[in-house]
Amino acid sequence: MNRKDIIRKSLIGFVGLVVLVVAGIRFYQHRHFKEQVVIGDQVKVKKLGNYFDGVKGTFNDCNIYFIEGTEPGATMMILGGSHPEEPAGRLTALVMVENARITKGRLIVVLSANRSATSVTRPSAAYPQLFTIPTAWGGQQFRMGDRWSNPLDQWPDPEVYIHYPGKQNLAYMDIRNLNRAWPGRANGTLTEKTTFAFMNLIKQEKVDVVIDLHEAELQYPVINTIVTHEKGQDLATMASMTLTDFEGFSIGTEFSPKNLHGLSHREIGDYSDAISLLLEAPEPFLDATRGITGAEQLLEGKDAFVVKAGKHGLLYAPIDDKGWPIATRVGRHTSTVLQIMQSWNEFHPEKELVCEGVPKYTELIAKGLGAFLIDPGSVAKGKVVFE
Amino acid sequence: MDMYTSAAIILGVMVLVYFIALWVKLSTELAMLVAALAGAVAGGHFFPARHVAEGAITYLDINLIFICATLFMNILKESGGVAFVVRSIIKTFHNSRVLLLILLSILLLIPGALTGAGSVTVLITGGMVAVVLNYMGISKIKTAAIIFLIAGLSAAAPPVSLWAMMTAAGVNMPYVGFFWPLLIPCVTGALFTVFFLGWKGTKIDVGKAFEELPVPPEKMNWTRIIIPFVIFFGLMFMGRKWPHDTPVVGLPLMFLFAALASYLLSPKKLDFFRISADTIKQLLPLIGTLTCVGILVQIMTLTGVRGLLAITFITLPAYLVIGSLFFFLPITESVLMYGSAAVFGVPLVLLFNSMGLNPIIALAGMSVIWPLGDALPPTAIIGRLTVDVAGAKDSYGKFLKQCIVPAIVIMILGTLMVLYSKQLGFLTGL
Repeated sequence: MNRKDIIRKSLIGFVGLVVLVVAGIRFYQHRHFKEQVVIGDQVKVKKLGNYFDGVKGTFNDCNIYFIEGTEPGATMMILGGSHPEEPAGRLTALVMVENARITKGRLIVVLSANRSATSVTRPSAAYPQLFTIPTAWGGQQFRMGDRWSNPLDQWPDPEVYIHYPGKQNLAYMDIRNLNRAWPGRANGTLTEKTTFAFMNLIKQEKVDVVIDLHEAELQYPVINTIVTHEKGQDLATMASMTLTDFEGFSIGTEFSPKNLHGLSHREIGDYSDAISLLLEAPEPFLDATRGITGAEQLLEGKDAFVVKAGKHGLLYAPIDDKGWPIATRVGRHTSTVLQIMQSWNEFHPEKELVCEGVPKYTELIAKGLGAFLIDPGSVAKGKVVFE
Repeated sequence: MDMYTSAAIILGVMVLVYFIALWVKLSTELAMLVAALAGAVAGGHFFPARHVAEGAITYLDINLIFICATLFMNILKESGGVAFVVRSIIKTFHNSRVLLLILLSILLLIPGALTGAGSVTVLITGGMVAVVLNYMGISKIKTAAIIFLIAGLSAAAPPVSLWAMMTAAGVNMPYVGFFWPLLIPCVTGALFTVFFLGWKGTKIDVGKAFEELPVPPEKMNWTRIIIPFVIFFGLMFMGRKWPHDTPVVGLPLMFLFAALASYLLSPKKLDFFRISADTIKQLLPLIGTLTCVGILVQIMTLTGVRGLLAITFITLPAYLVIGSLFFFLPITESVLMYGSAAVFGVPLVLLFNSMGLNPIIALAGMSVIWPLGDALPPTAIIGRLTVDVAGAKDSYGKFLKQCIVPAIVIMILGTLMVLYSKQLGFLTGL
């Protein structure tokens, strides 16, 4: 190697090193960014590891928020963050933890069902790592995540993923997809252990209804809907009809296919006494035809390319230049959850769940999502929990 | 500026910079990297370190498979195993060309069908098959075409077809009912390819072949060759048969175990570190290309260029979409590789579903066409790998020319499956 080659290679090596160090710091900061959650007097925080030693101390040993009323009643569990690339699910869970007041029954809320997947963004998808919800005190930051667990926590993948116990063949990377890993198994992968721990929680805490919060691309047929296990058909249908008539937005119902395994709406219903439901809100940011990819597009839900796809009849949800802002998407979830509670109470007056303080669809659109987040700086230190 | 204009300008900048980079004699992979960086700057991202690093690891798993499988094959070759196998095949089957061609097709179909990767076929059985085909009087360039096309079909063949699986996952469709819709066109295409390109040739001159072929070490035998393969396929079998009692080791480690067994069973002492270093040198251009493609796709996604291409294609009139699948899918594959299933496969399947076509058959038809793009620039990963493995010294254009007729047949087969997917729906229930 001559002198010129040495200089050239050293320069390239130096530039590579700078990229590596800068990117490494960004990856580290993203994975270890502490999201703040303000808890009220009614909220008690446990860990998922309390329900299964296999996840204790792992990255997926997430917080479980218990909000319990003074009177006994039904127990409902809200799962946010099954797919952390669908932020409305996590943010809805946060709004519920910070705002819900339960007088009867009990609410169990999870913000990061697959916490590992909140710590990574998808290679080649160019997701923003963090996003900020504007608030009166300046803004609150959150991690953007992926659909799959971080390979740092679970790797390698097999050449094909065979679901337990359904034995259905699924794409190899779905072995890291929490919503393909239900009901899980004790000696499985981290993702399977996580769903196994949740199943233990559901059984031990005698959960009556589980609602898994999601978002979907507009080109995906299962959207703006409640997907329900056959046990929850009455509940979902009643909630859907009421919301469509009175809340200002329409939402359909779909029945959980019996031959599609690993999904929460199928397996939780099959393997526990709980009714399992899954909500899908529209997220244009996930569409394969989306344009510029950034935090602004993620939160505003505006995209000219997706609008064009809609004009060609290629979408299963409407979209116009106003897009699908995050407040609208969270509002759909909060109103649907509240309506499901209401419908449950009508079917089970002897075992009610009464919740107050959670903003509905119209309130969220009118005031914005930030209006319902509590400034972590305004409360005592012990009232702030980190996700 | 609206999104169409900005994405179109950025695309223009990327294309321009890519060709300027090629003009100043940068390699394909570096030209892609420079084009990606130019696109990022045009999009207002002046130091996209995180995006460069994240894009670069998109195909990390595939790179690891390439490295470990090639290491295994190189150890087998250096130990004299390949020469031994080729001699045995020639000795046993030299009298029946039909039988030999069918046997070689099966040998090429199996590794890719089991792993979903055509590269694995090329790396595992491609080299051995190439030598036998050469002795059957088939030119090295035709041999490369046969191996490439059947390797592509093997990747699309069941049980593991990554394009079908990734697209099915994207639309939440169970990967069920794909076995026959994938197997039938893949086997048909493979047999057509091998007989079309391999029928004309000469009878094997056993004496000449044995004189020219390297002589394997005296102690080489079938046991020493088969055990590493038994380990590889045994690990795969265990993972399938007892998926919930077998630890997930992943394909790269399976290949490493096979390589280790081959090394330990070699009748002559091998220099493991030299073979490893040679393997990396041999694969460096491919690894570089895959790394830079990942970066390119990440920047295209970031700046909206990927979306512009996707929306432009899927909003064409339906007859144009179906009619242009035969070249559009290979082109997207040549840039995005498996990523094209997620980017274009998902909207296309949803589009076909909304048109009343059978999504499983349509997706199977598309899956047969996709691998053809692995021979096309800018990546041409499997194509270049195959030409290398087959030892062809002709220009790359000549290799592509040899592929044309069977490729057209495969394209027609795939397009007809999409077009008549409704009528072929019965295949999903067989």
